[in-house]
Amino acid sequence: MEIVEDKTSQCVIIGITGRLDTTNYTLLENKLMELIDNQQDKILVECSKMDYISSSGLRILLMALKKLTAMKGKFALCSLQENIHEIFEISGFTSIFEIHPSREVALKSF
Amino acid sequence: MAQYIHFNDPNSEEMVATLDRIPRCPGVCFFMDINRSTDIKYLGGLKDWGRKLNNTFNNLLYANHFQKHVVKGIGDEMMLFIPEEVLQKKYSNNTCFALLEDIYASLFLIKNHPDPGLYLNCKVAIHYCTEVHNITFFEGADDYYGSDIDLTARLMSKSIENRIVLSEKFYIKAANDLITLGLPMETGCLARVSERFMENFKGVPVSTAFRVIDVQ
Repeated sequence: MEIVEDKTSQCVIIGITGRLDTTNYTLLENKLMELIDNQQDKILVECSKMDYISSSGLRILLMALKKLTAMKGKFALCSLQENIHEIFEISGFTSIFEIHPSREVALKSF
Repeated sequence: MAQYIHFNDPNSEEMVATLDRIPRCPGVCFFMDINRSTDIKYLGGLKDWGRKLNNTFNNLLYANHFQKHVVKGIGDEMMLFIPEEVLQKKYSNNTCFALLEDIYASLFLIKNHPDPGLYLNCKVAIHYCTEVHNITFFEGADDYYGSDIDLTARLMSKSIENRIVLSEKFYIKAANDLITLGLPMETGCLARVSERFMENFKGVPVSTAFRVIDVQ
């Protein structure tokens, strides 16, 4: 898995490439917690190149959402592949996360 | 697939010979139990109970790719067995540590989901089995029998809602995975593992060592 950080005037974009699972979720956890600890309260996770997510990966996203919600910040996701969207749906995540079809649409919401 | 055992003659020598040839099938066994589902059957009826069981089983199974390994489901409890050779071939979740991490994450997601009305909390017991055989007494069924399967079921008696009970044997396998990966012992959910407890379980001739992890 690779993580790419991109800063815009609206938010920080975290792009994930590859599989997010038990072998590497700590990379994403460390990155998100570092941003949150530095008071970055607007984060968009771009998932167009993420082709798998395990429960461990979902847990990190939920933790980040809870922390940013407590800070009155914003945490959104965009460009989920169909199989990833299905996992989000089954996990009951589609109703609690703000999910946008594309990066462009997501950025307009910040 | 399981070796089907069915002989009409109770004293069949062929049966004894067949049983003698069946190899052990080491792997990870775990039991998952969904809490409060019996209460909900009475209080909410099939619509509420069925919906929550559907959601909870989906959450436990789907993201973890365990569907093919459910050996038994009895109401709100299920037994899964993942043979060692199957575990090793998985792309991810291919170690005891990875498996434990994803089970922990599944329980965490259910416990911490913002809508408490969607899922039911669970409890889990997990053991690394060596004394186990892939046999069945019912044609077409897949099943596993052995003293280590029985022990996994006994470990369930030490679990409560949002808790994973792990045998010492499984804990050592998971800890060894961390050593192989070059990671510290406090990685992931193992940072929350308890001290070692001992218990004399009914029908088990020796004391059993186990630990617990309570989901945050």
